[in-house]
Amino acid sequence: MSDGPLIVQSDKTLLLDIDHPLSTECRRAIAPFAELEKSPEHIHTYRLTSLGLWNARAAGHDAEQVIDTLLKYSRYAVPNALLLDVAETMGRYGRLRIESHPIHGLILISTDVAVLQEVIRAKKVAPLLGAKIDDETVTVHPSQRGHLKQALLRLGWPAEDFAGYVDGQAHSISLKEEGWKLRDYQRLAAEGFWHGGSGVVVLPCGAGKTLVGAAAMAHAQATTLILVTNTVAARQWRDELLRRTSLNEDEIGEYSGAKKEIRPVTIATYQVMTTRKNGVYAHLDLFDSHDWGLIIYDEVHLLPAPIFRFTADIQSRRRLGLTATLVREDGMEGEVFSLIGPKRFDVPWKEIEAQGYIAPADCVEVRVTLTDHERLTYATAEQEEKYRSCSTTATKKNVVLALAKQHENDQTLIIGQYINQIDEIAEALGVPIIKGDTPVKEREVLFNQFRTGELKCLVVSKVANFSIDLPEASIAIQVSGTFGSRQEEAQRLGRILRPKSDSRSARFYSVVARDTIDQDFAQNRQRFLAEQGYSYRIIDADELIA
Amino acid sequence: MSLADSVRANLGPTFADDLRTRSDEELIELFKLRPDLINPIPADLTTLASRATSAPSLIRAIEGLNQWQIQVLEAASLFEDSFTCAEIVELTIKGAEFVVKELTNLGLLYKDGKKFRIARAVRDILGDYIAGLGPSVAQVIDFKALTKAPSGAIELLERLMWGPPRGEVGDIHKKGGVIEWLLKNKFLIPVDSKTVLLPREVALHLRGGKLHKSYLTGAPSLEGKSVTQGESDRAAVASISSLLRLVSELLNFWAEETPTALQSGGLGVRDLKKASEHLSAEENYTAFIAELAYQIGVLSIEADGRILPNANFDIFQTKNFEEQWWELASCWQSSSRVSGLVGRVDSRNVTALGSELDRANAARIRRIIIDSFEVGISPTLDSLTNTARWSYPHRRALTINSETVTWMAREAEWLGITGAGALSSFGKKFRNGEKRLGIDAALPAPVDHILIQGDNTAIAPGPLTVEISRQLSTFADIESRGSATVYRFSEGSLRRGLDHGHTGEEIRSFLKEISKTPVPQPLDYLITDVAKKHGRLRVGFANCYIRCDDEAIIAAILKDKNLEHLRLRQIAPQVLVGDAESSDMMDELREAGYFPSGENGQGAVIQLPVSHRAKARPKPPRIVGEIAAPSEDILKVAIRTLRTGEKSAPKRTSGELPRSSSSETLDLLNEYLGKGIALRIGYADTNGAVSLRIIDPLSISLGTLIAKDHLTNGITPFKIARITGVTRA
Repeated sequence: MSDGPLIVQSDKTLLLDIDHPLSTECRRAIAPFAELEKSPEHIHTYRLTSLGLWNARAAGHDAEQVIDTLLKYSRYAVPNALLLDVAETMGRYGRLRIESHPIHGLILISTDVAVLQEVIRAKKVAPLLGAKIDDETVTVHPSQRGHLKQALLRLGWPAEDFAGYVDGQAHSISLKEEGWKLRDYQRLAAEGFWHGGSGVVVLPCGAGKTLVGAAAMAHAQATTLILVTNTVAARQWRDELLRRTSLNEDEIGEYSGAKKEIRPVTIATYQVMTTRKNGVYAHLDLFDSHDWGLIIYDEVHLLPAPIFRFTADIQSRRRLGLTATLVREDGMEGEVFSLIGPKRFDVPWKEIEAQGYIAPADCVEVRVTLTDHERLTYATAEQEEKYRSCSTTATKKNVVLALAKQHENDQTLIIGQYINQIDEIAEALGVPIIKGDTPVKEREVLFNQFRTGELKCLVVSKVANFSIDLPEASIAIQVSGTFGSRQEEAQRLGRILRPKSDSRSARFYSVVARDTIDQDFAQNRQRFLAEQGYSYRIIDADELIA
Repeated sequence: MSLADSVRANLGPTFADDLRTRSDEELIELFKLRPDLINPIPADLTTLASRATSAPSLIRAIEGLNQWQIQVLEAASLFEDSFTCAEIVELTIKGAEFVVKELTNLGLLYKDGKKFRIARAVRDILGDYIAGLGPSVAQVIDFKALTKAPSGAIELLERLMWGPPRGEVGDIHKKGGVIEWLLKNKFLIPVDSKTVLLPREVALHLRGGKLHKSYLTGAPSLEGKSVTQGESDRAAVASISSLLRLVSELLNFWAEETPTALQSGGLGVRDLKKASEHLSAEENYTAFIAELAYQIGVLSIEADGRILPNANFDIFQTKNFEEQWWELASCWQSSSRVSGLVGRVDSRNVTALGSELDRANAARIRRIIIDSFEVGISPTLDSLTNTARWSYPHRRALTINSETVTWMAREAEWLGITGAGALSSFGKKFRNGEKRLGIDAALPAPVDHILIQGDNTAIAPGPLTVEISRQLSTFADIESRGSATVYRFSEGSLRRGLDHGHTGEEIRSFLKEISKTPVPQPLDYLITDVAKKHGRLRVGFANCYIRCDDEAIIAAILKDKNLEHLRLRQIAPQVLVGDAESSDMMDELREAGYFPSGENGQGAVIQLPVSHRAKARPKPPRIVGEIAAPSEDILKVAIRTLRTGEKSAPKRTSGELPRSSSSETLDLLNEYLGKGIALRIGYADTNGAVSLRIIDPLSISLGTLIAKDHLTNGITPFKIARITGVTRA
């Protein structure tokens, strides 16, 4: 029995002992096929999933390699059933291939006649297919390429897509590496994507996903459609592209609620794409308005369901997904796999932090003891008002004010869910606030002032959860959030993880009312970060103020 | 020459004669081969011979034969008289002479000088169409005629040639057809107007003089994937460690959440499912584990139906891995219970721990399957089935087919007797009956520490010692199982620990002691928080309360000697509770000189009812006296009985039951069979009492008269021997 760093559990989780001398080597070996589930301080948990194994197949790994790796690093004997299952699962990928045929056009082909028969007979698949050419080949309606892939994945027979991509309208784009260089992992990510054709790159917040997108565009040399979460993010993409690539202002268009520009590189928001007028998606034409060579999806884990539907129709265009986590709260990971593509690149947060590309962070949970009066109010509040009641108490506000005062020399963001509460805080501190109804212009001015250091403290609502680049923010104080959303917590922490000019470490405060539902939600929210290796310290508000 | 001698001369020597010629060693060998013959010890060789040639003993002996031995025995059974080895070889292949010797040693064949004879009952046991052959016609058949056979005739014969030799042909009298030709030339013999038989001579001729299609003098070799010893041992180690872990885990789970056996016995489907979910194992695996635990006696079904681990389980857990495994594996091997049957729906659901899993030949089949496995090869299901079936070609309670082989092979894999489908080195040693298997050295050694992490999980990087895992699982939930265990601490799990009587401090110090890493601060906080909250609310039981705004009165009641026996408890300055009924309590208080008044659920004062009312549901007594009117059915029955009695009445007055000799009885009955004419019979019951019955005789078979009985108006069998006499009614 070897004394390896890996323990293979019968429920298909892999436990990696990171204090083991072989742990780094082992991590590299298992990363292609196992999903990193959590990476706390001593033992990292990976999971073998069908999607993960198919991702590995798509990246050119075979079952034998996977099994060898497991056996090589495993500390204890590996259950045989698990190995058989791995081989069986991986064997399913690629049994069916979608190819382009010179005469018949798009075809579904399989050397395994039985499998092809099985899927042809499936109710969900049959309408997507055309005439049968021979025992091993059947034509596919070109418009159904994406739907077919989705349906096949659900049947457990994911098809490998060899039908290729259209080049799109050529457009010269190159990176302008002046005074900066593409980081190694960014380059690897972009190359990994390009060789794979389509797929998702997973990088932590602040690790420079925009640049991966830019590098992918430089590979594609074609017109590009970029879909982002909101207008502010769209502007940031534009600024970043202007700064880092050969593109000029006339080449980049914004397609949002405010502007409807279509240029060789167009940045559109999810919101405008999913806007409906009289029950129809009014801006869907954007996908067809240009012969796009590349489509980039920012924050794939937030991709709204309608966009999936559009994406199914544009399977012949290259697609790049960017995200910090493949975990979707709605469980639509399978859609991401089949429609955007398999995971092409992934690296854990801590590793990038260790390389100095994201700032180390210190997470602190501040426990606030409510006054008796507040407790009573909380106790008698209606169920649906409980969270608001405990997370917007005056005691909590006072603690936030005290914290802000302590950090008055740092760049501080105060983030909250309830507008009344953050309004009060902004007023008490005498600092500006950004919320849903703040005009985009004003937001940009404020963000700019904050970036330059002109403004030390900024209060923001949840509009600032995503894609706002505030490199110098080093302190975040979270007053309240969207209940127990783990993914929001990660996004908010991400706001302060950009490396600081003086390599300061960032601090993330979460102010929590003791013995209330707030505390329960906080625990749930923190789970993702704890699993990423960011563990929380708990301190008492009284200690802090004293 | 006496009669017996002449019979013997006709039949040749008997088995007893052969036994008399056998040496002591040969007899000992016979007893070894057929241990049933020695119990009880036969008085003499004649007794032994008759016991050995009795059907039950022969069946048992034949069940031990492999396919090749059966084939030779079938060949021998074709000879009505004695036969030679050469004749058997001619019918089969060379090498049969060795089998003849084996069969003789077994007492299925016996010597007649230089020739052999077959024990008579063997033929019956082998069945109707031995080796697919029809009966012999003892006629000369001209096989040359076959060259002139009309088209289709040969094909038809070939369809019957390997048996079964019976064929349906529509109409054998059809003129001008193939059938007519075959029947005319005696290649077929008619059975009835639609059925023909292929005579033995014709079949043997078509088979080219050989009795069977093919002969295999040894078990077919296994075909499948080759597996290295290392691979199979590794897989076996994984199986063994998870099996032992799951046995403990299942029993511990049932100790906490005890299932109850079904009315019909056995573990319910829902409980099996729940246990499987808990173990995250397949249901058939869980059933297998439960069965094993039950069979080795660490799991009991209580008189009230609860399924619980017993004291033996505690002893079992103190044993080392090898001993535990040995106990499980040897019990499995010799058990007649087939856990693969669980979940089958026959007449009703077959359940684990139920009474319907026993199959008499399960252990033998299991042994044969284990013996079929080899080191270094993972056989395909078909290949394994073929090999095993060669050794055991019989159809009994359990037959070797792909289903049984799947079950047994699966179980051998779970037990680690095979690993990755091939015989593991543990399995090999176990099969050879070696005592030292090396399991303890191969399994990971238990660890006595955990690693606690910031996300409120703890990881035991190997199998935990029994004591630590038991403690830990009281206040942590298991999140992932395998060689290692991942525990999660949550509010719920910690509360459970506190409910079990641990204090927050105890939990903290226990964790500190067994954790190799410092206890993270959030967990520390969590423990403190839960401990602080735990027990703040108290729930107790009381039947009534006494409350009073005046604390002095409460104090007085509490101190009152007259009320001491009520055992009142003070739970607040103004409230006392007690176990007495509220009405009794009020009576007692009044008696002691207080002035209580009752309170209802809303706290309002209730007045005493003016008069009392019973609380029990009304159950009026039945009214006796009136006689209910008889129903239509009862009336009908009464009339029928009366009419029957009427018919038999005249004779009864004369006190005469019909009496006739047995031949007269039969004649009379035969005469009136099925004519719908009523007869009177005297019929003796089991005690010899004779009663008069009026019947319409319908048919006679096997000494029984089937007749319509006027008394019951139903069809009833009457034993002819018990009919004392018959007359016309």
